[in-house]
Amino acid sequence: MSNGTAVKSSKQIILDGLWFENPIFRQILGICSTLAVTNVVVNTLVMCVSLSLVTALSCATVSALRNQTPRSIRMMVQVLIIAFYVIIVDLLLKAYWPEMSRQLGPYVGLIITNCIVMGRCEAFAGSNKPWPSFIDGLFSGIGYSVVLLAIAAFRELLGMGTILGFAMPYFSTQWDKWIIMVMPPAGFFVLAMVLWICRSIDVKGQKK
Amino acid sequence: MKENRYWAVVFMFVLTAILSTILIGLARFTEPQVRLNQQIAFETAAVRCIPSTEAKTPAEIHAIFERDFVKPESAAGAFVYQPSGKAAGYALPFSGQGFWSTIRGVIGIGIDRKTVLGIWFYEQAETPGLGARIVEPFFYGQFAGKTLSPGARPIPIRPVADATDKDIAAISGATQTCVRLEKLLNTAIEEWRNKMTQGGQGQ
Repeated sequence: MSNGTAVKSSKQIILDGLWFENPIFRQILGICSTLAVTNVVVNTLVMCVSLSLVTALSCATVSALRNQTPRSIRMMVQVLIIAFYVIIVDLLLKAYWPEMSRQLGPYVGLIITNCIVMGRCEAFAGSNKPWPSFIDGLFSGIGYSVVLLAIAAFRELLGMGTILGFAMPYFSTQWDKWIIMVMPPAGFFVLAMVLWICRSIDVKGQKK
Repeated sequence: MKENRYWAVVFMFVLTAILSTILIGLARFTEPQVRLNQQIAFETAAVRCIPSTEAKTPAEIHAIFERDFVKPESAAGAFVYQPSGKAAGYALPFSGQGFWSTIRGVIGIGIDRKTVLGIWFYEQAETPGLGARIVEPFFYGQFAGKTLSPGARPIPIRPVADATDKDIAAISGATQTCVRLEKLLNTAIEEWRNKMTQGGQGQ
């Protein structure tokens, strides 16, 4: 950061979202959905895109209204804005992608309570301009997505022998499928392994 | 940031009004599409529960549904599947309360009114990973080929350990869903059979 103030550069915001302050393995936020929707890659993908868009747009809106929002009710306002975007996503999925809407079921609605969205609104958007807030929300969402997709690919491959529904060589034929990988318990231990690996990697400039 | 108490109320009120208006508008706009999706889901269930039909895309399914399925008074609420004009089976819609919300589906029954051709669930919101697995082939696939037994429990769903070849094996961990599903399904079949028998006597 060149100016030395609290204002972060876009590059720093992006790197923070993706790695240094990654919501999953640094902040341990949004774990419930990590465990719930990572058994099949395609569900995870839709969940990740939804969450990233909701986070980015909510952060931008919260930021745009930050000077008008009374401090005492700011959390109500944040939840209202987040719920607004989540309902839009839910309505669009119901109308134009009903199969996915059925598969994700209640999890789309539960984005409202995902700690990442409100966490970014409260920690960043409340005190920054709309565009940096949008970038911050988007890349926090992408940071979440990358980890989730890695977990989902691993679980779907070992559990069903496919990725995105496509049969993988060896895994779909010879591999003795580990059914537990697509069951809820696998979410816990695959997540734990990802945390362990990512936290063991030491990147230059990492905050300890 | 303003700290006036009235401002807080006014702000929240105005923001809620604006956002709700947009959402209501969007919901109205997508409503016809959502209804169409429900109709497609139902038609898919009706066509798929009779496995001899080989339709894949929604358009093909709709065409087959329009062409081969009729709903005469004499079928007591079921659709009659009649490819090439001759009745080959019944598609009986059923619905009822599952563990969390309504389960809706269609069961295909042979023209003998005894053989189950297949079953298809098109609406459910049971526990993901447990009750929601009723829509997976390992569960619904068990129905095809079963024979409806006479009496109040035409098609029993029993725990895996007790299930014989004539029963449907329940899903472990989804006892509530299976108990409710068995009840609503058997009630629907029982009622339909009674109506059909009464109607049949008149013919």
